[in-house]
Amino acid sequence: MSSTANALQTASRQDSVRLLEVTDLRTHFRTERGIVRAVDGVSFTLERGKCLGIVGESGSGKTVLSRSLMGLLPSSNTITSGSVRFEGQEILGTSLKQMRRLWGREMSMVFQNPMTSLNPLMKIGKQISEPLRMHLDMTKQDATATAEQLLRDVRIPEPARRLEQFPHELSGGMRQRAMIAIALACGPTLLFADEPTTALDVTVQAQILQLIGEQRRDRNMSVILVTHDLGVVAGHTDEIAVMYGGKLVEKAPTRELFAHMKMPYTMSLLRSIPKLEDPSHTRLATILGRPPDLVNPPKGCKFAPRCAYSRARCHEEEPSLVTAAESPDHVYACWYPVGSPEFEEREAELANVPVRIGGN
Amino acid sequence: MTDLTADNYPMTDSIEPIAPAAGPGEGASAKKKLGRAFWICIGWLIAIVLLAILAPYLPIKDPRTNFTGKGNVGASKGPSMDHWFGTDKDARDVFSRTLHGARVSLTVGFVAIAFGMIVGGTLGILSGYFRGWWDRVVSFAFIVLLSFPALVLAIMLTALLDRKLFTIALILGVLAVAPVGRLARATTLQYADREFVMAARSLGANHRRIIIRELLPNVVIPMAALGLLGMAVAIVAEGGLAFLGLSVEKGITWGGMIQLGSESSRTLERAPWIAFFPIGVLFLTVFALNFAGDRLRSFFDVKETAL
Amino acid sequence: MRYWLQRIALAVLLLLSVSILTFGAMNVLGDPLFNILGPVAGDVSNPDSVRLIELAKKEYNLDKPLPVRYGIWLSEFVRGDMGVQFSTDGQPPVTDLIKERIPRSIMLLVMAQLMATLIAIPWALAAASRAERPVDRISTATTFLLVALPNFALAIILKYILGIKLQWLPLTFRAQDPFDSRVWQMVMPALTIALPAAAIYQRLLRTDLITTLQEDFILMARSKGVSRRRVLFRHALRPSLFSFITVVGLNTGALIGGSIVVETVFRIPGLGSSLVEAVLREDFPVVLAIVMIVATAFVMINLLVDVIYSIIDPRVRR
Repeated sequence: MSSTANALQTASRQDSVRLLEVTDLRTHFRTERGIVRAVDGVSFTLERGKCLGIVGESGSGKTVLSRSLMGLLPSSNTITSGSVRFEGQEILGTSLKQMRRLWGREMSMVFQNPMTSLNPLMKIGKQISEPLRMHLDMTKQDATATAEQLLRDVRIPEPARRLEQFPHELSGGMRQRAMIAIALACGPTLLFADEPTTALDVTVQAQILQLIGEQRRDRNMSVILVTHDLGVVAGHTDEIAVMYGGKLVEKAPTRELFAHMKMPYTMSLLRSIPKLEDPSHTRLATILGRPPDLVNPPKGCKFAPRCAYSRARCHEEEPSLVTAAESPDHVYACWYPVGSPEFEEREAELANVPVRIGGN
Repeated sequence: MTDLTADNYPMTDSIEPIAPAAGPGEGASAKKKLGRAFWICIGWLIAIVLLAILAPYLPIKDPRTNFTGKGNVGASKGPSMDHWFGTDKDARDVFSRTLHGARVSLTVGFVAIAFGMIVGGTLGILSGYFRGWWDRVVSFAFIVLLSFPALVLAIMLTALLDRKLFTIALILGVLAVAPVGRLARATTLQYADREFVMAARSLGANHRRIIIRELLPNVVIPMAALGLLGMAVAIVAEGGLAFLGLSVEKGITWGGMIQLGSESSRTLERAPWIAFFPIGVLFLTVFALNFAGDRLRSFFDVKETAL
Repeated sequence: MRYWLQRIALAVLLLLSVSILTFGAMNVLGDPLFNILGPVAGDVSNPDSVRLIELAKKEYNLDKPLPVRYGIWLSEFVRGDMGVQFSTDGQPPVTDLIKERIPRSIMLLVMAQLMATLIAIPWALAAASRAERPVDRISTATTFLLVALPNFALAIILKYILGIKLQWLPLTFRAQDPFDSRVWQMVMPALTIALPAAAIYQRLLRTDLITTLQEDFILMARSKGVSRRRVLFRHALRPSLFSFITVVGLNTGALIGGSIVVETVFRIPGLGSSLVEAVLREDFPVVLAIVMIVATAFVMINLLVDVIYSIIDPRVRR
């Protein structure tokens, strides 16, 4: 049975449209310094065949989030709470044995660094056929044939030859494609892509993202794309969730987010992307300061200490998620979001232009 | 539900700047203290050294007297109030012999490792610092020395030279030169490239000054821990030689006692204490040295990485 | 290619140095004449003795200068002639003695290494998969104990427990016995050498395994749904074996040293025990020959380990 047919069969099995329902997920780690609140109350839903982008800096908790969702964190010193429902079933807190039935089969992950994430001593073919033989009980020949087809699906030239090669014999881009092939092998319904392009050349990045997009459409698979790069999510996601300090600070359908972003943090992220059209030696706009201490987080909004637009209230009360006026699917957590009078006031102060009250 | 790695889990850069996953070394339990067990070992070592030094003056039985005849327990008798470790085949008091045997083993161990560290350390530091053909010659010499299984070399040399206490200690010392020297050289190489040496040189310090004031303190630290471990090795080596009959002539040695106690299966079966008491004391001493040395080494290692 | 030639050249140079040192030491520090003739060698007043001395000198080339003697020895040695024994009136020639004794030593070493490896690998796997837990801590303590115990002490302990008290294994080795009884008789001596070696191997492998288990590709394998056991065996073990193999190979030298004592304790007529006997008898040709053989074996094994390493690591293949 080919991998595509497999995927379709899995798709038809599904009755509910909601693939993943996350409610108030919290992941805390016990360390010598105290309890690290890596993920502190994240909720969202993901539908079949859709792609969610999770964006944030290092330290925002985005990688811990993806690992928590999949259940890959070690159990010692980890405290998780909340609910994660996959295809209607609660998977948070289930036994390792049960999770293993899902891993590779229903949900899989593509990792950031293909050089270190592939077993250097195992042939590519073997690494792909391993889940096939394990989960789908394929014979060696079937698995090899399927593996070759998978390599073709991910557009690796000379797939038959590549099966017999080791990871170090492939280029960076090809390695990442191989990893994608491994992740797609059993036709999962949910694919986690954890910074899949960070370790690659810019030219290859676009190809990989395109590949993921293609496979998503072909297989009706959901994708969670985790990255720090807003540019990556711009073209390839249906919805974007912005994380900061372990919390979800803004979430909206992609177009809506770029059209009407609310959180100053999101805006800073956008501004900090270097653009080709800018003249040379343009100073990169960076966000000053460091990510918050996750053991002793500051009172109020976590971003307030670094926010140019913060006021007294921001440091005292933590804003909760509210729905945007422009679209019911857009939520954000900010007291003085982009476009609000207070925001405009501060913006003017920063630009040193006299304030025009009441105008557009 | 068990997991593969208990404490150390790579959290990736998501958490890295805020909370490191675990301390350096294995597991978060690598404490910066030496620990109670360490001090117990040191205690044992001090005790045995004191007993060894004072042995001839203590109110214990003479180690060479044969307690035969009337009023004495006789040969191959088990532990009793009179003879705490029993008597051997020639009716000598095992306890007293064990204490006297300590004198040989500990002296040899100490002198050997001291010699090895001084000579080996010097050669190692010099060759690591000056490099060039001098380094190549010394390194080659080290390799040659290390090409013999140590015991073979020790046996050969003991046979050729006389069997005095000091000679044997020196032979083992010569054997210690190569491994110690290699470590000293490696550590020196590590440090010689660092900035503070260059800084010292730029201030006009000559070679001798740099070696003594900058390099030596840093090299000495890992070697000190090695000292305890090395002493353990030397004591075991001497024990082996004594067992084969190649140690101090006419001396009382642990190895010799063990050999006598295990010569025939019958002796071993009927009077196991003759061999097992010296084995026990030897083992405890070596173990204490190994443990203390190892603890010392990880204690200093942790500090290093914390820098 | 050039690299290997350099290595071989270095090895040869090494062996030559060893031979020079040994030959020099034996002839300068010792007294060959005394060993051949006994006390007669010093008795210059008696004309008969003097005649014997002259004869001996001629026969054993002792009248020639040292470098020449070395040259003669070397040329004979590389052709396989290891000279004659000093102490037993030349019989049997050293070469024959060696030929007779080597098989037993080899048998002992092979069995010991095999046992050590077979004990170490499962031990390490168990300890690594339960790192820091009671099983692991006990295994660490055991390792320490085994390493601290001198091998002759361990030999005696094993002899006592296994041979005398429990009577599971025979105590003596008889060279004339059929092969299978000889293997059985070798078990205890081999075990004496194997146990401390296994402890060291296991410790290293365990640490390597734990380190390997932290690697990204292990997480990747787990995310595919691979079971813990399979991850350990199929994914983590192979990369961890590299230093393991290196250590096993390099440790053979230490095993050779250990076998000397063990052969003596268990009275196995092998190379090690003949070395000790020869040394006690101050029989130079024998000592020289055995030392050279041991050193050669040592150097060759190190070379072999390097070769094997470069073959099995696909990343290193040139």
